[in-house]
Amino acid sequence: MDTSNQKEIERRVFTSFFQAGFIEAFTGIFLLQLGFPALFSRSGFGDWESALLTLPIALILLFVVFLVRRFVVTPRLGKVKFLPERRRKLSKLIIVPILTLIAGAIVGYIFTENASLRHIFIGQIPFILIPIIVFGAAAYFLDMKRLYVYGAIVGLVFPLGKYLETVIVSRNTLPATILFTAFVFLGMATVFLVAFLRKYHEPRV
Amino acid sequence: MKELENQGKKQTTDSLSEIMNIDRLVHSPARLSILTYLSVVEEGDAVYLLNQTGLTWGNLSANVTRLKEAGYIEVVKEFKDKKPHTLLKLTGKGRKAFQGYQNKMKELLDIKEPISREGRRISRLNRMK
Repeated sequence: MDTSNQKEIERRVFTSFFQAGFIEAFTGIFLLQLGFPALFSRSGFGDWESALLTLPIALILLFVVFLVRRFVVTPRLGKVKFLPERRRKLSKLIIVPILTLIAGAIVGYIFTENASLRHIFIGQIPFILIPIIVFGAAAYFLDMKRLYVYGAIVGLVFPLGKYLETVIVSRNTLPATILFTAFVFLGMATVFLVAFLRKYHEPRV
Repeated sequence: MKELENQGKKQTTDSLSEIMNIDRLVHSPARLSILTYLSVVEEGDAVYLLNQTGLTWGNLSANVTRLKEAGYIEVVKEFKDKKPHTLLKLTGKGRKAFQGYQNKMKELLDIKEPISREGRRISRLNRMK
């Protein structure tokens, strides 16, 4: 058992704490937060009203995730404090998305406020790049390759929805594409959770 | 030929004596597994070890006690939400013993491979005699 093997064991231990479907659940909730406001705003609600209408749904779902983690997953997996090296990686993981989101928000603001730039395709690039960068960073820092795929999927949702909107002429195509992807992720989260519950049972002392 | 045979015998004897010097407390599969999973984290509770090692509560408890008695791991028993919670941590001595064991095994396995090949050749020659 050399150092590389130990690193692999550490990686396996670490990733085992993410197999209950929380990443998928968070991704699904995030997409719901994009999809529902888009749907409501196309049904006559204002942007802020739409965002406020969907906020309770997201909060309820996040609370459910928190409860599942607290009372179902943690008692089955146990508690671990990882080595400082891993904790440093995790702190870097928090910085990358924050910087990306700030940069994305600035670029998005410039393009939405500037009327001449609004219709240029580059205005959509943040919607593609931000998920790819954020999920890419998560995949790298969490050592989980499936997150690269998630990044690509979430990054493609917006342009795909826009494209489908031109093919299927309906104003709800984009929100429907986003919501469909959100439900796929939430479905995946449920499947992962069920698989987790079948694999791990609460230990009896 | 005789010289080669003697050399082979001497090396085999050396490696055997090295094997005898291995830390038996670490060498047991259950304890090796416990130490391995504790070496990749700063600290973990009993449920974590139970899941990762696949041991039963009784087996885990017995082996943890032996490692604790040797000073290889530190056990903190506390109550969380009115439930007993056992936290385990590898001590400096334990980490050193585990690393020493790893190094010794690596060393032994490196020596063992050419010897076994040579040993096989010698025994083949002996059979032909």
